[in-house]
Amino acid sequence: MSDPQQPRLTPIDEWENEAEAMLDDVEYDTDLGVQMARDAIRVSNGELTDAEFHEKYHEAVLEEFGEDERPTKPEGFEDD
Amino acid sequence: MTKHGLVIDQERCIGCQACAVSCKQENNVPMGQFWNRVLTEGGEKMDTPSGGYPEDGGSGSLDMQYQPTACQHCENAPCVKVCPVNATYTRDDGIVEIDYDKCIGCRYCMAACPYNARVFNWDEPEHMPEEGTGDVEARPQGVVEKCTFCSHRVDEGLDPACVVNCPADARIFGDLDDESSTVSKYIDKYETDQLLEDRGTDPNTYYISGEMSPGRPQTSDKMESELDDVSPWSDGDDDVPSKEADSAGGESSGSSHSVEGGEIPYATPAKSGGDD
Repeated sequence: MSDPQQPRLTPIDEWENEAEAMLDDVEYDTDLGVQMARDAIRVSNGELTDAEFHEKYHEAVLEEFGEDERPTKPEGFEDD
Repeated sequence: MTKHGLVIDQERCIGCQACAVSCKQENNVPMGQFWNRVLTEGGEKMDTPSGGYPEDGGSGSLDMQYQPTACQHCENAPCVKVCPVNATYTRDDGIVEIDYDKCIGCRYCMAACPYNARVFNWDEPEHMPEEGTGDVEARPQGVVEKCTFCSHRVDEGLDPACVVNCPADARIFGDLDDESSTVSKYIDKYETDQLLEDRGTDPNTYYISGEMSPGRPQTSDKMESELDDVSPWSDGDDDVPSKEADSAGGESSGSSHSVEGGEIPYATPAKSGGDD
């Protein structure tokens, strides 16, 4: 695999391996990062709304990071 | 509203890496890291063409295109959506930036970026010379960093360093929300692509391919919006070419290079470096 530190265009079929490699050794949840990355692209694609994305990961993000300051928070959404 | 965007004319790009080097210098990018690189499309590895050499008097089929790549400053930036601490954010003018004081180094943004445009400072950044370069403070160990469209320059009314230093005038920066800007006119007139369009990120970086554009019209460091007249003679100090300069210039006048009135400025096309 090429160095994930350096800019390149990743073929879609290689992306997930590369994303996992990027999150290796990080002190946060690798699986959560990969899942959120995948769904963030789905938001960009219009397959998922910002609000759905926010709600789907809100609890996991809170648990992992102790805060959830993502800009996808829908109006009126109440933090736990 | 202003929405900053970049047009890169791949037909003009000669793959000289001046954009990569000037970016590194201007933004104090650490040793071993690049925010801005010139990739190649062609063979399986960097700087290798596809196709074959001519044989038996044939014409051959070698082909390679330069692909300058950095942060695309996406309208629907996935990196922004995944940042749990809102360290990565989109400015009102469309520039995607990182608040390095907020960044906790989780690297979720790196995983979400389809362009691999972000780098992480695993170690204490090293600079050459040690005191660093350019006008931007060094980022600390443990944060993600990337191209900012040289926001520190843009805020001063100057084009990004990569744009000003491109010897082929292949990079044009401007306001995508302004129909009269050169970037808007080029996107309208020429065949342009955004990278990985199928992912819906809607980058504010566009690539011209096919027909070569006249390139960046002004020589000034200033952004187009800061100039009264956009012409190859404009150094930004005196935006309108003087009569003396016109008469001394001989065959051309500043007005023929203006982008006023829907005209596309003419400049001598650079030799294409895209097809080797």
